[in-house]
Amino acid sequence: MTTQTSAASVATRPRVGVVKFASCDGCQLSILDLESELLEVVARFEIVEFPEASSNRSEGPYDVLLVEGSISTEEQAEQILELRKAAKLLVTIGACATSGGIQALRNWADHDAFRASVYAHPEFVDSLAMATPISDHVTVDAELRGCPIGIGQLRELLTSLILGRRPEVRDEAVCAECKRRGAVCVLVASGEPCLGPVTEGGCGALCPRWGRGCYGCFGPREGANAPSLGRTLIATGRDEPEVGRLFAGFTAWAEPFRTMVNDLGGTRGAGGTRGAVRPSDPAAAPGAESDGATGGRA
Amino acid sequence: MTTTDPLAGLPPVPSEARFLARADLQTLIDVLHEDDRRVIGPRVADGTIVLDEIASVADLPAGWGATQEPGRFTLERRTDEKLFEYNVGPMSWKGYTFPATAPLTSVRRTAEGVAYEPATRVIPKLAFLGVRACEIAALFVQDRVLLGGPFVDDDYRERRRSALVIAVQCTTAASTCFCASMGTGPEVRSGHDLVLTELTDGFVIDAGSDAGRAILARLPVSEATTEQIGDVIGAVSAARLSMHDGVVTVGLQDRLMANLDSPRWAQVAERCLTCTNCTSVCPTCFCTSVIQRSKIVGTASGSVRTWDSCFNPGFARVAGGSFRSRPRDRYRQWLTHKFSTWVDQFGTFGCVGCGRCIAWCPVGIDVREELAAIAPPIVPRVPPPSPAPIAATPTEFATARVTSTRTETADSTTLVLTETDPALIRTKPGQFVMLTLPAFPRLPISVSRVRPDGIELTIRAAGPATRALTQIKPGEVVGIRGPLGVGWPIERAMGRDVVIVTGGIGLAPLRPLIDAVLADRSRFGTFRIFYGARTRKDMLYKDELAVWASSPDVDLQLIVDRGDPDWLGRVGVVTQLFDQATWEGSKASAFVCGPERMMQNTVRTLFDRGLHGDRLFVTLERHMECGIGLCGHCQMGRFFVCKDGPVFSLAQLGDTFGREGI
Repeated sequence: MTTQTSAASVATRPRVGVVKFASCDGCQLSILDLESELLEVVARFEIVEFPEASSNRSEGPYDVLLVEGSISTEEQAEQILELRKAAKLLVTIGACATSGGIQALRNWADHDAFRASVYAHPEFVDSLAMATPISDHVTVDAELRGCPIGIGQLRELLTSLILGRRPEVRDEAVCAECKRRGAVCVLVASGEPCLGPVTEGGCGALCPRWGRGCYGCFGPREGANAPSLGRTLIATGRDEPEVGRLFAGFTAWAEPFRTMVNDLGGTRGAGGTRGAVRPSDPAAAPGAESDGATGGRA
Repeated sequence: MTTTDPLAGLPPVPSEARFLARADLQTLIDVLHEDDRRVIGPRVADGTIVLDEIASVADLPAGWGATQEPGRFTLERRTDEKLFEYNVGPMSWKGYTFPATAPLTSVRRTAEGVAYEPATRVIPKLAFLGVRACEIAALFVQDRVLLGGPFVDDDYRERRRSALVIAVQCTTAASTCFCASMGTGPEVRSGHDLVLTELTDGFVIDAGSDAGRAILARLPVSEATTEQIGDVIGAVSAARLSMHDGVVTVGLQDRLMANLDSPRWAQVAERCLTCTNCTSVCPTCFCTSVIQRSKIVGTASGSVRTWDSCFNPGFARVAGGSFRSRPRDRYRQWLTHKFSTWVDQFGTFGCVGCGRCIAWCPVGIDVREELAAIAPPIVPRVPPPSPAPIAATPTEFATARVTSTRTETADSTTLVLTETDPALIRTKPGQFVMLTLPAFPRLPISVSRVRPDGIELTIRAAGPATRALTQIKPGEVVGIRGPLGVGWPIERAMGRDVVIVTGGIGLAPLRPLIDAVLADRSRFGTFRIFYGARTRKDMLYKDELAVWASSPDVDLQLIVDRGDPDWLGRVGVVTQLFDQATWEGSKASAFVCGPERMMQNTVRTLFDRGLHGDRLFVTLERHMECGIGLCGHCQMGRFFVCKDGPVFSLAQLGDTFGREGI
């Protein structure tokens, strides 16, 4: 307990921690992007742990713990268990924490071969064969999606924590945000592959508004009908690995995107493989017996 | 209903049509700007035609056309430089009249408590340039929804009122267009201030309102030539003719609701992404949610209305879960609302046939295909051949002798006709004959019984001609043509429960049906007859009623409008005999005859019992003279009642049934 606040406000302000595992820190930095509202944030919350922002540290307990990153090492897998015990409310932030992130693409690959090709001394690299979301390890109370998270949703989370209401995070596709903002559907008008219809909104349709297809960084929305979108993309002239690659992005490990990648290929290691991969059983990872040479479904 | 527009198919003839040269279109925009209006119109952007602010003619999509297919919109360069040779893009005018987000209220905590304040509204003065017929129809639909009830949407009203509608008639149609089948276009008939039709070198322009006329007066126009007006009619007709795949709207409302369990809902849900593109591009969808926006420090918050969609999983959610958790539920909700329950709520379809939901569905689901699969149009069954009438045409008359008469009520008499052509003995239940006495008009009379030796006709003295007929003495001869018309389709009731609902003289045309069911009793389920009359004395066939009442084969229930000391039964209207009943209507076929209002109430009550529209039959009364569909008197919608009826299923009649003034 090292922050410089008065005893009165310490008693009323929730203690907040921000921690990270395997990730780029971008989501934590989004908190700092609140800029003009930061003084309001610290007036309402006691930030006790936030290494990106302060050298003051705390091991808890936390009223609210924001967790960034996926579990990628043995040590992290142990740490998250301890942190869960120290946190009343655990909120995962960003694609890595909620779905495994871009590093979860290694779940389809040969981990040892990867390590060997990158590091001169792979034996010093102490990582797990799979990168997995926090929810595979502990109970998660809430998720903020995105790569990075959306500042609007972050603000709504903080506000609702203060007010004690349910955060107004809409369960809608990116398409709804496109339409409300008057953005033209890139899929229909330009034939640009786009994951918007199956991806959770919250980004404000950032990519389609700039003429780019959504690459799904907010992850699959509730009931996402990925197979139908995949069938349509294939029927309109794309080959299966190309469609698989579309799903093999920042949230590839989240279902049903994962099954799409399993079924269609699209990661280097996933070529020619079939069947769901279970995070609890790394040996089942098809990448274990595939070096990617087959390069897609035959 | 738009589909009954008697003018559908006929292009409107411009009334005070003028010609505006292509080079002078800028003057129109300038005039609008002089009036401090912002002009919103089409422009090419992002691979499609969007609606945006238009500064000059140069912003319009000159030389651009488009191919639209399910799930695909492709801009195409044309060989000419026409400005409006496309149909619709993804955006509709809804974006301006009913914006995607609109602030509602702000709330502050005050010393006294909380204070709610309506959001300040800024209503821009706009001119919509390039509004298509289907889009005007869509504005009308939203008018009904948002302005037509006891509570109105003020924001919409202000925006709608402040926008000038400059319509453009379509001279081309995309493969996704189906306005013609929805009865909304392509001709612009009303709802516009000005209407333009583009020809090669300019526009035929006409006003539809005082505001439009005032603008027209400021434009450098010349009188449109007959050739130009002819070109307009030709071009719009060509657009109409180029639309092929439409929606069959006849009976659609009932057909859809009769197919709530269709396996197709699950099949379309396999494709549906529930992405809400369809509802967002739809120019009539109006569902919204209110979002609370609060500041982190939080003494003030605001609420914002935002487009929402019945396809979103949370749209119908309560604390215990969602009422429509499956995509198939949500697709069904949307489609049945657009094409069925919308009619119940707002008196029009919720679809205008613009085709946006088809083109902008990422997986290309086509509502026209889904409707045809889920609620297929009822193909008229080929009825068993009716007996060839004797004296078919009005120039002929056969004769028949009245061998006996029977007084039924104070004003009704049954004539028994024998010594007549054997064809009359083959009359089917529900058919009628044309009957005449010398010097009297010819009258359609239902056959009330078919006997081995002739027929019976029960006639109520309603006017001089019918009175003369009721006063016929045995032995007299009458002129007769028949049997005519289509009778009760008794074959549709075989193996099912049979329900007959009738009142007063209406029992007469049903009596041959009752005879037929009783003669073949084992082929039908429970047989219920509900008969109402003004008083006990106004009931027909009292002896037979007594027999039926005591028969185990029939469940006969009677009711009178006015009781008397001798009447121990129920008093009220006929629907009261079964509106609280527990029997299941979906297993029954029903046959109804009575005054129009009584039939409407009966039909409604039977629908509530679960009867399907294609197993619910009514017989309609209309002015008939020729009896064979040539004189035009009995025309009703797409039917001649004498030739195509008088018996119709509700599915056949669709929404024309019970409509005033049809």
